[in-house]
Amino acid sequence: MRALVTGAAAGLGRALTDQLLASGHEVVAVDLDGETLDRLALESRSALISRPLDLANGRAIESFLIRHKADTFDLVILNAGVSAAGRFEDIPLERHLAVTDINLKAPIKLASALVGAGVMAERSSLIFISSLSHVTGYPGASVYAASKDGLAVYADSVRKPWKKKGIRVTTIFPGPIRTDHAARYAPAGASAKRRMAPEKLASIILKAARKGPAELFPGGRAARFAAKIAPRAVLRGLRKALLDKMDEPRL
Amino acid sequence: MAKQDPRSHRIVITGATDGIGLLLARSYAARGHRIMATGRRPEVDRTELYGKLPIYYICADQSDPARTARSLSEATDRFGWQKIDLAILNAGVGWKGAAEDENFASIDHQIDVNLAGTIAATHALAPALLAGKGRLALIGSSLAEGGVDFATYAATKGALSGLAKSLQEEWHDRAGVTMIHPGPTQTDMHAKAGMQLGAVRKFFMRADRAAAAIERAVRRGEDEREIGRFYAMRAKWQKPGEGQL
Repeated sequence: MRALVTGAAAGLGRALTDQLLASGHEVVAVDLDGETLDRLALESRSALISRPLDLANGRAIESFLIRHKADTFDLVILNAGVSAAGRFEDIPLERHLAVTDINLKAPIKLASALVGAGVMAERSSLIFISSLSHVTGYPGASVYAASKDGLAVYADSVRKPWKKKGIRVTTIFPGPIRTDHAARYAPAGASAKRRMAPEKLASIILKAARKGPAELFPGGRAARFAAKIAPRAVLRGLRKALLDKMDEPRL
Repeated sequence: MAKQDPRSHRIVITGATDGIGLLLARSYAARGHRIMATGRRPEVDRTELYGKLPIYYICADQSDPARTARSLSEATDRFGWQKIDLAILNAGVGWKGAAEDENFASIDHQIDVNLAGTIAATHALAPALLAGKGRLALIGSSLAEGGVDFATYAATKGALSGLAKSLQEEWHDRAGVTMIHPGPTQTDMHAKAGMQLGAVRKFFMRADRAAAAIERAVRRGEDEREIGRFYAMRAKWQKPGEGQL
């Protein structure tokens, strides 16, 4: 079995990669952090193929795809993402544009090209990592939320036509995760206790990948319910808990 | 001459050289408002497009979002527009086809123009909008929740919708945000997206009706408004299984 994981060097992507390797998969691992990938490749005795790649760079994505056009993937997890937190107008425009490039453009290009080139196996699974912010909104990370909404809508659009090709499209909407990446954007003094461990989330995702549900909201049942019955109150609560506690942008 | 509104507002409209944007610019200007209109062309025949109306044309090609932001900031500085009452960010492009057949140029173009370009314009105009306690209106689509033959287009519009939702809360006491989702409209957008519509087009909403509905939603300060849903359904009936831009 061969998998592709983006953002594989840290956080959720790393947990996914570790568990895939442990269950005997070969993993093509993409990340900006080539050093960590190379180390993981060494440790895995070449079960992990290191592919350092800047997903903000369209050309680099093209050459990556050319390199893998004769491959077959059973599982693709488009997990890489960045955020920028703070008031929309205080975050530099370059950061907003980096968020849309990495979180939306890159996974759309990868998904479209992988399916278009026919490298997805007959019975394969394609997983997009969106965010629980798709149901709640995210004042304080409005462009991050927008990018994750875009990704969820893209997945909804392609699910049916790609199912006919044997590719199951799953969207994951994770809530807060206990990673360094997430801690960077959280307000000062925020507790990490209620965040889900990346290892736990990874095992939920991989278990689900075998069945291929359309959507999965790990640990987000309460938030989803609240957002359905009182969307404005949830938004206001998030603003008070996140944006109002932030004195400067976190990039 | 149209009836004048009591106060003259400063209004920015993107994508205002044809379609709904052009009609909005003309309609607001005819009622005595001052308009900054953007389009991708370096030069336009102002008289042909706008006659003698108080509409100033600014070239802002949203396929280059960073440059769009600079053009808009320069223009608001040059005009001395420290406060803006309304910005209608309407510029948009579409592509129709199977998602796996779409090339990178088309994915880039739609995400840049529809989403990144609109984020850039919002960013450039935010200081003046907030200073003027103005209103931001974003134009989405009836496909913002997905569309089989319009996967990337739908993604950009869904993303705008999410941006509006979060910004509404961020700016709750400082500026208004209205999200508008038009159904298929009789504009040149479909032809530009390479679609041959034929007879279906006559089932689409007239562009002037779409513009009027947008003005109404903005005037009422609505958070979100779907317009032309009836037309979206009729167009679907005409060609089963296909959504329309």
